[in-house]
Amino acid sequence: MDLLLISVFVSVVGAVLSLLLSKKEDTAKKVACFFGTIASAIAVIAGVGAVLDPAGVSVSFATPFSFADFSIMLNGLNGLLLVAINILGFAAWIYGISYFDEYTGMGLGAIGFFMNAFIASMNLVLTVDNAFWFLVFFELMSLSSYFLVIIEQKPASIRGGFLYLVMAHIGFMGIMIGFLIMAAQTGSFEFATFRAHDFGPILGSVCFVLAFVGFGCKAGMFPFHSWLPQAHPAAPSNVSALMSGGMIKIGVFGIVKVGLDLLAATGVQLWWGLLILVIGALSSVLGVAYALGEHDIKKLLAYHSVENIGIILLGVGIGFMGLALNQPVIAGLALMAGLYHVLNHAMFKGLLFLGAGSVLYTTGSRNMEIMGGLVHAMPVTAMCFLIGSLAISAIPPLNGFVSEWFIYQSMFSIAGVATVAVKFFVAFAAVSLAITGALAVTCFVKAYGVTFLGSPRSEAAKQAREVPAPMRFGMVVLAVICVLLGIGAPWVAPVMQGVAASILSASTVVVAEGATLVNPVLGSAISTPLVAILLIACVLLPMAAKQVLAHGGEASDRDPWACGYALDPGMPVIATTFATEVKHFLRPIYAARTAVVAKKDAFVSGFNALVRGAGKAEGFADKYLVDTVASFVSWLGQKAQRIEGGNFRVYIVYIVAALVFFLVLAVLVK
Amino acid sequence: MEIIVAILQALLLVLLAPLFSGTSRWLRAKMHTRRGPSIFQDYYDIAKLFKRQDVHPACSSFVHTWMPAIFLGTMLLLAMGIPMFTAASPIPLLGDIILVLYLLALTRFFFSLSAIDSGDAYAGHGGVRELIVGVLVEPSMMLALFVMGLTCGTTSIAVMGQSVADLSVAAPVGVIVAAIAFFLACYVELGKLPFDLAEAEQELQEGPLSEYSGPSLAMAKMALSMKQTIIIAWFIAIFLPWGAATELTVPAILLGILFFLIKMAVIFFLCSVFENVVSRVRYKLVGRQTWCIVALAAFAFVLCALGL
Repeated sequence: MDLLLISVFVSVVGAVLSLLLSKKEDTAKKVACFFGTIASAIAVIAGVGAVLDPAGVSVSFATPFSFADFSIMLNGLNGLLLVAINILGFAAWIYGISYFDEYTGMGLGAIGFFMNAFIASMNLVLTVDNAFWFLVFFELMSLSSYFLVIIEQKPASIRGGFLYLVMAHIGFMGIMIGFLIMAAQTGSFEFATFRAHDFGPILGSVCFVLAFVGFGCKAGMFPFHSWLPQAHPAAPSNVSALMSGGMIKIGVFGIVKVGLDLLAATGVQLWWGLLILVIGALSSVLGVAYALGEHDIKKLLAYHSVENIGIILLGVGIGFMGLALNQPVIAGLALMAGLYHVLNHAMFKGLLFLGAGSVLYTTGSRNMEIMGGLVHAMPVTAMCFLIGSLAISAIPPLNGFVSEWFIYQSMFSIAGVATVAVKFFVAFAAVSLAITGALAVTCFVKAYGVTFLGSPRSEAAKQAREVPAPMRFGMVVLAVICVLLGIGAPWVAPVMQGVAASILSASTVVVAEGATLVNPVLGSAISTPLVAILLIACVLLPMAAKQVLAHGGEASDRDPWACGYALDPGMPVIATTFATEVKHFLRPIYAARTAVVAKKDAFVSGFNALVRGAGKAEGFADKYLVDTVASFVSWLGQKAQRIEGGNFRVYIVYIVAALVFFLVLAVLVK
Repeated sequence: MEIIVAILQALLLVLLAPLFSGTSRWLRAKMHTRRGPSIFQDYYDIAKLFKRQDVHPACSSFVHTWMPAIFLGTMLLLAMGIPMFTAASPIPLLGDIILVLYLLALTRFFFSLSAIDSGDAYAGHGGVRELIVGVLVEPSMMLALFVMGLTCGTTSIAVMGQSVADLSVAAPVGVIVAAIAFFLACYVELGKLPFDLAEAEQELQEGPLSEYSGPSLAMAKMALSMKQTIIIAWFIAIFLPWGAATELTVPAILLGILFFLIKMAVIFFLCSVFENVVSRVRYKLVGRQTWCIVALAAFAFVLCALGL
């Protein structure tokens, strides 16, 4: 708890100092990165402590507002999010030491200020235990990240930032109304009183749906996802990593917090779970399908965040359903799977965004079409990006596979105990997850292959060089964590289960025995360490056999075959090839996007109409209020001018008249 | 004992995979009324390829060099987990359907990636096709397996096979329809005609393999025919488990091997015959067939949900 407050304090000091030093950009950058790194490291320790001991501790400070004590609570759920966000923050700050050099002249002091403020406000949103302060920090988080999105001041980033701001506030409104209803019912803004109060099924559902939509906007779930691929790529890449890996998780955090924590006394309803499940399934398939259509590497990654939020929601949704169907073991398993994926996604998405940032740093472009062959120039970046790609594609034995395995397990488990109607929903979700998995493999073969493999397709790609050490360090940290969270899953999963159990206030479920991951409901078992060891052995064996048995020697100096023509860089497969093929086979999905994008435009044009309307209303007020007053005053002035004629005799008359008036007045009063 | 069975399965797979592919070449020739090569021709080919130079394109990277080993290694790993000769999984921790499905995704990932790495336009297109076919087949496979998971209450291949063998499944009609859907999905995955899309010789010059040569080509070819064997073994383990050894004694295992080879040979024979009487589907229209399989799997699910 103390550590958390220290971390926030350090962030604030870093923010203020970097703003004060903004004249000397290089110093400001160093100061911001230094304080940011320390603050994140401290917050990670605080978070790990809370995850290992998820019971929850809280403190409260009195504030000038009698209705809003500044209470902070640190428990398993927000501890886990703290860990995820601050590991990312740590990597992003170290990465920034070199990466921010690209932004010299755009106000590094401001970047340092906003990024520190962004991380501090995220940490506080997670931990405050009062609705009023929650909303304050939620808004602060949106604003500080908005300024980071528009930092480049290009038309695309300003447009993306604006869309982000609109969607963030639509979400904010939903959350605020939900909290105000709850506050009106309980007469307090303290989350502690919300937890104890039974809102009844109808009001509880209203609050939940408002919060689901509100936090869903922040999480970027379908159909509120369109801001995400516009806004996230516009920010500096390490900020994109924080936004895509960290901030959108606060949306998931909010859904879990409201549904399972604040409405705990009200009770979860089955249809909430089904709603989350269906939205999760749609987000996952559509997110990855749209990602395949992109050739901007950062937009592609941003769409993948939509997909992964969908996968997380699948786990969370089954958790809700398990609770509603009175299956505490399945609920514990599913929620654990969802939370595990929260952590996993933060790590590999952060890693991939940092990798994309490195590519951007060295080639100056985000367009995959002009890359190619970067693996030779930047081997560390390429290896890290490959690990990230394998992890996000849920390839065993990496971390993405572990959480998806548990999500599948909870689906198979809940389908066994549910009614026929619910079984259909679960089957739909399982099939969606399978399509998502296959599409993710396709998408990351594309992202990695087109960017890093083959031959360079432009001068920029030919001249690519490996990025500086701090940037490599940031990526390697996250890549190592991805591998550890996968192979070490039998030791991580029980900790995650402890967090899930603390949220559900249920007893813990056995999810690992020794080096084996188990599903206690169905008795399924796998072991990622075993897969890793056997896989390495089985791959090395044929490689060794080849060394021993092959006698023909090796050569790698030939051009690929091009049907007898001279090889041209335009011949091989590029990103568009994938996009065309997938668009051909999955046409209905892309038709759905056109419909949703039209709705996004409707949102924006609605907002613009509102602004125009407000502008007109302002003029209206001017015309009838301000102008009236102003013209009355000037009319008065003109009349007054007649009085002063410029003749001193007239003034004397005035003075005499005034004297007479006051004398008469004095007599009358007496 | 289990470890020995696991190693035996992997070893036999390596040794027999060229025989299966050689036999289907021989059968193809017979159906064309040609004399055709010997059924051992694929062994000779592999031996010869190992003597040749291993050539990789200049622009390629470690992905191109390592892919055959990764592909082959993953197949060995799968061979240790899928029950073939015994009713139980030799290494039960590797016998989970979801793990198998995602290990197949691992091979697909590197197979297609190596195609792009080669810088060859034909290979690249083959790689994209491989991925697209995966996308189209995955949902029906998962749905069919979901039906099995639901009726048998497990995600372990061996347990599913055991409840099919006992004829104790809750929804027998559903399971039969699921078996058909799963078999069709497997058939598409085999890459045989009419779904020979990724390595289509006449269209794409062997697709992802076009830049491979020498020992690497030999290993990749072997891995491909191992993949075919494993996918059929996977189907057999779940839906045709009869005859597999229920106890770990040498005679029982030998009998299990015999039964396995017979089942394998019958299915391979049927597949090879079918392969030779059809022509390749138009790639752009393959979605029609695969959506039919999804529909069939969905029908199996409806039957299963209704308890039929």
